Amino acid sequence: MSLKYVTPVAMFKKYLPKDYVELVDFGPFGKTQDEAGPGNMGQFKELMEEHPMCSGCWMAYYIRLIFASLPCPEETVTLGTAGCGRLAISQAAVPFIYGNYGDQNAMASGLSRAFRLRFPDKHKDVITIAGDGGTMDIGFSMTMHSWIRGERFTTIMLDNEVYGNTGGQESGMSPKGAVLKMAPGGKQFDKMPATALAKAAGCVYIVKMSPTNIKKAAKIIRRAIFVAREVGPTFIHAYTSCNIEYSIPTEEVFADARAQEKDRFQFEEYMTDAAKEVIDRIEAEEKAAHRAKKGVVAEEVN
Amino acid sequence: MYYVAKVNADMCAEYKCNTCTLYCPEANTLMFDKVGNTSWVDEDRCKGCALCVYVCTDMLSRNCITMEMVHGKE
Repeated sequence: MSLKYVTPVAMFKKYLPKDYVELVDFGPFGKTQDEAGPGNMGQFKELMEEHPMCSGCWMAYYIRLIFASLPCPEETVTLGTAGCGRLAISQAAVPFIYGNYGDQNAMASGLSRAFRLRFPDKHKDVITIAGDGGTMDIGFSMTMHSWIRGERFTTIMLDNEVYGNTGGQESGMSPKGAVLKMAPGGKQFDKMPATALAKAAGCVYIVKMSPTNIKKAAKIIRRAIFVAREVGPTFIHAYTSCNIEYSIPTEEVFADARAQEKDRFQFEEYMTDAAKEVIDRIEAEEKAAHRAKKGVVAEEVN
Repeated sequence: MYYVAKVNADMCAEYKCNTCTLYCPEANTLMFDKVGNTSWVDEDRCKGCALCVYVCTDMLSRNCITMEMVHGKE
């Protein structure tokens, strides 16, 4: 897609569904993060629309945050696989590709290469958003190989530490001792070291986090996307609890995310020198643009 | 018959705050009205998780949001 593709012809506007027209007029297409970003969610029409995920789902919240943080939503394609996450990702106004279980990173490899050939003059962002099963269990080989090949796209793992969509079976990312279906006596093995694996496989920007601080979480998503445009594979490992299978009361989901931030999901950030260069450059540009805009506003006021 | 969040607009308008809208897992549900300086809930979309109540009451001690029973329209 592109901005031109999204915008309807003025004459046809009255015949289009109301939701679509609202999305074009009040959505984040073609706007900056200050106008329609995570900081003012609830004040613009968001890309994600009514999704069928459970009440109080922290994964749904994080997906909402991902879509609000996209630097260029009209030039983005998301890929996903079976799991809870795709229920919400597929409801967003961003093209979504759904493959067989676990092959999202293989598809993304081809897609990002094709985009670079077809649109050499602009950045098309490819993001794979999948659960812990899709990324680290069943899709493990395809995820690892895409990283080893150095494919330039972003991988986001929504880690709910369980197979939530199929009824709560133990996954490779479940913590040791967790009592789940297929693990009635508690899981016997350790949680997979996803970030260490990513580092060994050659990811250039890796973050492990629990999304509680909205500004920080958004900044990391944007950093991962910017680095993937130029340098190499990037990986975000985010804690998105399953309140059903881990029996967390819905109103305590946020408190649980904060508790995990101090426990299993302590903040980790790794970047190579090349990635740091890109991040520094882009963040300096953003800051300059923000300052320039502030200056214009101040002049207008005076 | 189910619970949905309800914002006390008068109490909410006293604060310059849109924190609850940032932590709702549903998109386009808990919205912020810039003119009235208050949050409001699209009741048809609210799933009643009460995360906004946690944010408003436990985190910020402002007690502007409550969970209330709604009945289907005849």
